[in-house]
Amino acid sequence: MKKVLQVFLGVLTAIGGFVDIGDLVANALVGSRFGMSLAWVVAVGVIGICLFAEMSGRVAAVTGRGTFDLVRERLGPRAGLLNLVASMAVTFLTLAAEIGGVALAFELVSSVNYLLFVPLVAFLVWIVIWRMPFASMERMFGIAGLALLVFAVAVWQLGPDWGGLAHQATHPVVPDGEGHPTYWYYAIALFGAAMTPYEVFFFSSGAVEEKWTKKDLVIERVNVYIGFPLGGLLSLAIAVATFIVLFPEGVEVSRLDQVALPVVLGAGKVGFAFLIVGFVAATFGAALETALSSGYCIAQYLGWSWGKHLEPRKASRFHLVVLMSIIAGSMLVMTTLDPIKVTEYSIVFSAVALPLTYFPILVVANDSGYMGESVNSRFTNGLATVYLVLLTVVALTAIPLMLATKAGQ
Amino acid sequence: MTTGRRRDLALHLLDRQIIDTDGDAVGNVDDVEISEEGYVTALLVGPQALAPRLGGLLGQWLAFLSEGISRSSTAEPTRIGIDLVTDYGSAITVARSRAELGAHRNEDRARDYFIGRIPGADHARD
Repeated sequence: MKKVLQVFLGVLTAIGGFVDIGDLVANALVGSRFGMSLAWVVAVGVIGICLFAEMSGRVAAVTGRGTFDLVRERLGPRAGLLNLVASMAVTFLTLAAEIGGVALAFELVSSVNYLLFVPLVAFLVWIVIWRMPFASMERMFGIAGLALLVFAVAVWQLGPDWGGLAHQATHPVVPDGEGHPTYWYYAIALFGAAMTPYEVFFFSSGAVEEKWTKKDLVIERVNVYIGFPLGGLLSLAIAVATFIVLFPEGVEVSRLDQVALPVVLGAGKVGFAFLIVGFVAATFGAALETALSSGYCIAQYLGWSWGKHLEPRKASRFHLVVLMSIIAGSMLVMTTLDPIKVTEYSIVFSAVALPLTYFPILVVANDSGYMGESVNSRFTNGLATVYLVLLTVVALTAIPLMLATKAGQ
Repeated sequence: MTTGRRRDLALHLLDRQIIDTDGDAVGNVDDVEISEEGYVTALLVGPQALAPRLGGLLGQWLAFLSEGISRSSTAEPTRIGIDLVTDYGSAITVARSRAELGAHRNEDRARDYFIGRIPGADHARD
């Protein structure tokens, strides 16, 4: 019974934890501009993150080593460092975006400028990392993030033409007035939002934090294979909601209150309350994950002791890095850079940085000297190879598309 | 393991995580010491050992940085004799605690100057 509960909680956490500011912004934006014509990208992204997270979680559970430990070991110190710098830059941008996102949600309910909330949010992120046990932290914010299901409720209340939606999703065409390069640019943004690198750093380091072993692999797989796809469905509900309400009006999402509009129309004041709770939980939870991930990556590359399971005195450098990234991230938001814009760039750069960590993990997951009988199956390797090609193509085309479309304008 | 290990092992050892008897992280194998006969005699840990391997500007920068932090231009990397190694798994286990190895100067500094001064630094939270 305890096991069932554990699995159930794990799945709920994975659903709520899947969505962060990147998914929210990307799905809302894409829904309002492209309708359902990019829904297939969410599916491709979800399969990709399932594959990647399952491999890295399995590697972490079997070897006890985090992602960057293995990246350096496989790529050597030079290429490993390049990799570290790229991944850290993306994770740092994401951290700043999440902190800004929490502050924006506070602005939405209080009408007080979000910049005033940034220091408070930064402090809260740090104190939760400093004091709250790992498992409760993960569960609390993951499960509170489920409040975002209000998007699904709003869609149902708005009573859309389901057949039309399904037809659009299964027969994607570029909408009138949008160019092909813009369409593909947003496809990459949506893909990067679903497959953010920090999710993998956090997931694999979390497996070490929670002292997973081979025995926990079943639970790990259930979490990933059920939780992430349901999280993907939740993020699609956001796209559907903004599509129904904003697309006909020709509104392109660029502010948080526009994302809230369909919820208010469909589910009223109570819906709005749920939206705020879910939004704060999702972005705050992701801020915790990205802040911890910066510490994980640097500590693992340099061989420091790391993790929340240790008393901070025993992992001082790790905690110092986490603290400094939170401070630096909030300072970036304080420059008045629009958090929504930061998010849009961070998800595209995520897509660029993905192959850097994906490839070494794929190599280690095939190393029987490390993994014993838990090496990749043939099926996993077949799919993983397809994704390696896909990720490489996406990474190579992202920046040219960004320049060609002036970041999707 | 009193005799040295052969040179081809060096490639296998480089950049691996080293953990001590308590399971705590000591550092990475940043370099290895090889005897004239071609045997690995010690594992070297610390930025001073890593900097030459990075090479170029990056290496110079790291060496400069670590000199600045350790406030000495003569700081040597931590040397762990190969005879202390008890296990070669996904991590390399050595038969000494990290305090005994002295591989911990920068961690100690981070603790003494910053982290150790924050209330709650000695509570484990897992």
